[in-house]
Amino acid sequence: MIFWILAIIFIFLTGLMLAYLVRHYIFTITVLRGANKDKEHRGSEASAFEPTVSILIPARNEERVIERLLERITELTYPKDKLQVIVVDDASSDKTGAIADDYENKYSFIEVLHRGKDEGGKGKAATCNAGLKKANGEILLCFDADYYPTRDIVEKLVGQFVDPTVGATQGRVVVLNEPQNLVTRLIALERIGGYRVDQEARDKLNLIAQYGGTVGGFRSSLLKRLHGWDENILAEDTDLTLSVYLAGYKVRYNVDAECYEEAVDNWKAYRRQRYRWAKGHMQCFFKHFWSVLKSKKLGIKEKVDALLLLNVYFMPIVAFLSFLTGLLLIFFGSPLVNLLWLFVPICLYNFVGNFAPFFEIGVGLYLDGRERTQLLIPFLIFTLFYNMPICFKAFFDVTTGKIFRRNVSVWVKTSHLGNGNCYIQNLSINAS
Amino acid sequence: MRREQVKALNCLFSFLSIVAIVACVVVSFRVINFQSIVSLVIFNVLFVSLPFQLNGSLNRKLCLLALGNMTGLCWNYIFNLFAIVAADAFGKIFLDIYTVFFPLLSSIWIVSFWALSLTFLHRSRTDQGVNL
Repeated sequence: MIFWILAIIFIFLTGLMLAYLVRHYIFTITVLRGANKDKEHRGSEASAFEPTVSILIPARNEERVIERLLERITELTYPKDKLQVIVVDDASSDKTGAIADDYENKYSFIEVLHRGKDEGGKGKAATCNAGLKKANGEILLCFDADYYPTRDIVEKLVGQFVDPTVGATQGRVVVLNEPQNLVTRLIALERIGGYRVDQEARDKLNLIAQYGGTVGGFRSSLLKRLHGWDENILAEDTDLTLSVYLAGYKVRYNVDAECYEEAVDNWKAYRRQRYRWAKGHMQCFFKHFWSVLKSKKLGIKEKVDALLLLNVYFMPIVAFLSFLTGLLLIFFGSPLVNLLWLFVPICLYNFVGNFAPFFEIGVGLYLDGRERTQLLIPFLIFTLFYNMPICFKAFFDVTTGKIFRRNVSVWVKTSHLGNGNCYIQNLSINAS
Repeated sequence: MRREQVKALNCLFSFLSIVAIVACVVVSFRVINFQSIVSLVIFNVLFVSLPFQLNGSLNRKLCLLALGNMTGLCWNYIFNLFAIVAADAFGKIFLDIYTVFFPLLSSIWIVSFWALSLTFLHRSRTDQGVNL
């Protein structure tokens, strides 16, 4: 009896992992096949569509990075008379507010909103909601303070809203400080898999393209109708993505709208960031699972993709449990395990880092014209093993929080040390 | 040569490669175990379906594919021999441990060789200056 229960669990878990593997394989093939067409069609979307745009910059203790972003904002090619930039200084204890004030005094389109200690420090969602009240643009874009966009990013992101069914848009995130160390290099691989292949494929296949929390934006009217950011969810980006789709709109992804981010540069910061993401994603799973299943505005393939997306941070746990049950079955002398057991490692690679399999990352690197970065791909297995306990802890905290009605939405901010500043001069976008 | 012709040629050679690989796998059935053969099949499917679609000379891709299969065969053969000897020395428990860790060991050569071959294909693209 126990043998059969274990066997059913093992087959179910391995089947689930295979579903992700097939999903990412389809993504990779889709992007590869579309690579030629993209080169011909890219740029054709540029139009005379120029709505008013509000750019939100939530910032808390970002003195080392905010100046480079604000300087870049002043260099944007979008007409400044249609631009409103709102820096929300979230009770910073450093010079962030003073730096932003300087720019506000120099440029009429930049505004600063200072939040005091009593109302500030409650997380990004609360900060963005404060900014949203002040925003008056038709489109609202959001940039984290450590980001460095291309000059024409607003045109590229806003251009997607010509289609009235588009509720949100997302641009590509590229790691600025990639050469810094092994951690940043591995994160860069994850980003390439996620943004060069995964997001683009989801957009092409009309699945659930994801708003990533930054380098993207919303139709302001829709965002206000959705009551802005949910302050009780740590993965506010995934939450809004699902809310947009459930409201009958879609998210469009533009791979050409590039923005450079300063990735975390040590394992401790990586762990904190991923723990927050995992917990937030799990909160979204519990919040949206039934709504997605019951939604009449989503098709079957969108529902399947949405559920796979919501489930993604459970997968390291699934991989571990699959390994464990497989282990028990082997010692029971099961004949069925040997074959399925073979798929486990390849499936494990499916959940490496940012949950992109090695072939997806490899193809992304190839399409980006990278020469030797592919050699780092085998090292991604370490990030998988690192993510396993993180996801287990997040799962434990979220479920116990639900059972005992504890608030688990404590926002732990990622510190930005300005390590990416020295790489800005080397960017190809600054070559001219 | 036109792009369509190159694509058709690639498809034809991909098909022939798969036929050749299946033949090799059947032949090698006596030398290596069932698990090793499945790991070779996984490698071949991933290689033929993805890097074969990238730019680069067909010869180079076929050479890399053949080299990958040889690496996989040698890797599995050596590890199988090692497992047999170790099981003889340390008891049957070692074979169970080997079975548990075999997928992980297989993934090491599959992923590493796959990643390595992409760097060669990139160079090939640079050499020829062909657009994707």
